Amino acid sequence: MTDAYIIGAGQSDFGSFPSESYRSLFDDAFDEAIESVDSDFDTDRIDEAFLGTLGVGGRQLGLSGPAVTEHLGLHGIPTTRVENACAASGYALRQAVMAVRSGMVDVALAGGYEVMTDMSGDHTKWWLGVSGETEWERLSGTTFAGVYAQMASAYMREYEATKEDISRVAVKNHANGAQNPHAQLGFECSLEDAMNAPDVAAPLNLYHCCPTTDGASAVLVASEDAARELSDAPVRVAGAGAASGRVGLFQRDSLTSIPASETAAERAYDEAGIRPDDLDFAEVHDCFAIAELAAYEDLGFCDRGEAPRLLREGVTDPDGKLPVNTSGGLKSKGHPIGATGTGQVVEAFSQLRGNAHVQVDDPKVGLTHNVGGSGGGVTVHVFERIDGGEL
Amino acid sequence: MNYARGIVATGVYLPQSRLNGDEIEAAWGTSAPVSQIAVPAADEDALTMAIAAARNALDDSKIDPRDINHLAIGTTTPPLEEEEFAPRAASALGLNTDCELEAATQSTVAGANVLLSAAAASGPALAVVSDAPKGDPAEVGQRVGAGAAAFLFDEGGAVILADSATRSRDAPGLRFRERGSETVEELDITTYERETIRDLVSTAAEALDIDHEAVDGASLYQPTPDIPHRIARALPYDAETVERGTLVNDVGDAGAATTAIGLLAALDESDPSSVTVAGFFGSGATAVALAFETRTAIDASVSEAIDGGVSIPYAAALRERGQIGETEVAGGGAHVSLPSWQRTIQQRYRLEAGQCPNCEAVAFPPEGACPDCHKRVEFDKIELPRSGEIVAVTVIGQGGAPPEFVELQRRDGPFAVAIVEVTAGDGTARFPVQLTDCEPDEVSVGDRVVGRVRRIYSVEGVTRYGLKFVPE
Repeated sequence: MTDAYIIGAGQSDFGSFPSESYRSLFDDAFDEAIESVDSDFDTDRIDEAFLGTLGVGGRQLGLSGPAVTEHLGLHGIPTTRVENACAASGYALRQAVMAVRSGMVDVALAGGYEVMTDMSGDHTKWWLGVSGETEWERLSGTTFAGVYAQMASAYMREYEATKEDISRVAVKNHANGAQNPHAQLGFECSLEDAMNAPDVAAPLNLYHCCPTTDGASAVLVASEDAARELSDAPVRVAGAGAASGRVGLFQRDSLTSIPASETAAERAYDEAGIRPDDLDFAEVHDCFAIAELAAYEDLGFCDRGEAPRLLREGVTDPDGKLPVNTSGGLKSKGHPIGATGTGQVVEAFSQLRGNAHVQVDDPKVGLTHNVGGSGGGVTVHVFERIDGGEL
Repeated sequence: MNYARGIVATGVYLPQSRLNGDEIEAAWGTSAPVSQIAVPAADEDALTMAIAAARNALDDSKIDPRDINHLAIGTTTPPLEEEEFAPRAASALGLNTDCELEAATQSTVAGANVLLSAAAASGPALAVVSDAPKGDPAEVGQRVGAGAAAFLFDEGGAVILADSATRSRDAPGLRFRERGSETVEELDITTYERETIRDLVSTAAEALDIDHEAVDGASLYQPTPDIPHRIARALPYDAETVERGTLVNDVGDAGAATTAIGLLAALDESDPSSVTVAGFFGSGATAVALAFETRTAIDASVSEAIDGGVSIPYAAALRERGQIGETEVAGGGAHVSLPSWQRTIQQRYRLEAGQCPNCEAVAFPPEGACPDCHKRVEFDKIELPRSGEIVAVTVIGQGGAPPEFVELQRRDGPFAVAIVEVTAGDGTARFPVQLTDCEPDEVSVGDRVVGRVRRIYSVEGVTRYGLKFVPE
């Protein structure tokens, strides 16, 4: 079995671009990914594509994957559209890694896209609820923010966490996103701003929720031979973990964590042969501020109930022991559902190659964590820097 | 032992919200026709109130819902102009599918019809009168209220139906609703109306084969507070006797239900061997008088229901009743098809869950693999308790609701959604619920809540009903 390597990664701007299409947004991501490959990359080298999207708006609900690759001129290659809600492209990457590792494919394209801001308010609300558990959770009248807010209510009660604790996620991620030219909300916010914003779903307010976003991201996954040939500094996919959980929060044992994150992380760490202490940075799924706190604990960065302390002590700041969401995270960079998972890989690729906007000091190992819905499907990938000539 | 057939248990239900006459006076600059009215919440209708009153009656008795032979519901405001609604009540109450069902609609006299049919049925029988009329806010709308009363008949009745009498006359136009309209109208031909009501109700009552001197409570047709007294002038009942059964000043003109709720009030703690008269009336016109003889005193808990209200401002009352705020949402509601909703209906109404025969864990909903041992098993059916504890909660604010709840939110304001945990078997079960009849900001983790059948949402013209929860 060959290892799989990332040899290129790129994203479109994340933001509100109602006059763009999912294909035109993917153009931008694809171009940036090609541009990031060290060699002069011939797109004919791409053997197969795995593209993630939820399909918000319903537009091209069927066959949007082939529509994208044909649009890009990747004529005739097999393309699979992957759907796992907000983890769609985390799973697309997993498919690409599996295809390359199996030897069936030499170079695979993994990516995702979503167009969310071109619809009426009514249609947007309709689509924002489709990744929750439909028959019971949604028909109790809850929204996506509502489900995470329920988690926050239980977490705050269980661990005596405060609004200030969850607001620190917004302050940190906005400070990082302000340095990222691709970010949708690339501005800083104060703790006071983050605490006093209007409620979306109490206890979560506007600054505790990611925006709705249009965008695309693309990652090129290569076999060891192809990576050696095409890249001067490929990034090894050291661990690929994934796990499923019950789709509805009420169906799961824990209201204060995402069990599938814990399982996916264990699998990724085991495969990579590392422990959380070995990580130099992480991109975690902070669709809502509470999700970042839960992620710290699910991914083993700290014990249960300790996440507020990590934020308070600056452990996850860019100059801390384990910087988290240096890209700005979903909160500031934006969350174009299907594009988020591979969007996180763009940041990991940049960090490990030393050209991130908020660069961590000499990182060797990083992690991306992508959650579908409120925890129905999770991928965790561990990436490792390969120093020149090692391959 | 007393084997005579009669009322063995009763139930009353009033919506929580009250609109005080002062609010109406401030809004319109005229004197209010009644002291206060009970205002149904945006997620209530005649069906949900009927279910609530009937459940109270069943809880007040030792009768198993599966033993009920006959269910009759009277209302002028069925949820739809055409379609059976009694089967939904029967299903929500857990009655058997071979229970006789009857609906009386079309007139405020409907309450008498269902009482007569339940009294004449064999075996345990429920008569439920429930109503939530609407009217032009400038006219009838200033006095219409809402509420429901349920009467459970069986052998060994505490209260016996002693006699009944009917009088009718070709007399239209006193109170009517045109096809396609939701609002009750009156022509306001004062003398014609008063004489018709007084003559028909009083002559029907006079025809009752009872000792009228023994009557110590009367609930007479009461669209406004003065009408029962006008009727009583032709009868040997004093003002106190009439007042015992008059509560239009407490609940408003609740259409078919007012006389029935008034009857409950008059029966409440009535002395053994006393006689209570109910004088129902419907424009068109028919009057039905019923005489009840008390064998043993009953506790109908009417005053508790009246006292349990919460005052709301005038604009809120208009919103709750859907007189402002109605909307059609683009894109429709959630894609839960009607057949798939119906497939889970006993879970929606009665929290039917499954217990794993392998590990005894409880699954809600009872489908798929066991949530604990993950084995694919045939669950044993169990019913979860309808009261539990909030373990997670949030508030869905204005503008944030999924489209199928947008109208509810426009009418009722922000709502709380919670995950509720109940004890089940040796462990617990959880399910997501919407909370209602509460201030959403004042609910928190650890609070106790209890289930009530309410309207969940409507799509393609069909309303889905199911349990919501209210603070215990």
